[in-house]
Amino acid sequence: MLVLTRKVGERIRIGDEVTLQVLEVRGGQVRLGLAAPADVRIFREEIFLAIEGQNQDAQLPDQARLADAAAVWEAYADGKRS
Amino acid sequence: MQTVSVAEESVVPAAYRPDVIHVKSARFGDFEVLADRVLHFPQGLIGFPRMRRFVILDHRPGSPFKWMLCLEQPDVAFAVVEPREMVPDYRAPLELGARTLGVDPADVALFVIVTIPPDPTAMTVNLMAPVVVDVRTRTSRQLVLEDPRCDPSYRVCAPRVAVAAES
Repeated sequence: MLVLTRKVGERIRIGDEVTLQVLEVRGGQVRLGLAAPADVRIFREEIFLAIEGQNQDAQLPDQARLADAAAVWEAYADGKRS
Repeated sequence: MQTVSVAEESVVPAAYRPDVIHVKSARFGDFEVLADRVLHFPQGLIGFPRMRRFVILDHRPGSPFKWMLCLEQPDVAFAVVEPREMVPDYRAPLELGARTLGVDPADVALFVIVTIPPDPTAMTVNLMAPVVVDVRTRTSRQLVLEDPRCDPSYRVCAPRVAVAAES
């Protein structure tokens, strides 16, 4: 891992188009500002991991799994209507 | 060279149509999909940057469930639904989707991915990371909403009603 030391207000460039700026350091927290093109996705890591895990879990094992869910939903929706 | 190209043409089946993609999936069967139905995710799904081309197929007429099948890895598929019917109070982020895709909100279709565990009554939808599609170009993207009301595993069937529906 590349390790750099920066003062408040200083920036780091990642590639040609991404800029990371240290805005504030207070207590154990650092506030960062990020400027990047719209097609660069920026997430807190825990959010990224949660969505990645959810996508992983959502992969269907077979056709029957979806058919079962569709049947359950039909019964449930009918139950709600009646 | 001319001879080679004639030979190549002669092995093309009579029904060959350049606008049809043949998908062979050991897990989900074989599909024929129209090339102009393919969704392009330039960045892939979150955590799966190499899954960039998908097709969405109906489960069956009238069902809100659809298949979202990956063309690069045809053994990977997801169940998706339009949230309107299943989660009526979900505020689908069409504006954000439109901004992200650089299009008009009227041209955005939005789906949520369904996670179906072995007990399907416990299925959940991912309200935090919906898929948005520009219906004109089919450019697509998985959004991430950092809104605490957008649950990544929102349970669709309230447990007690699901039990009642089974009996």
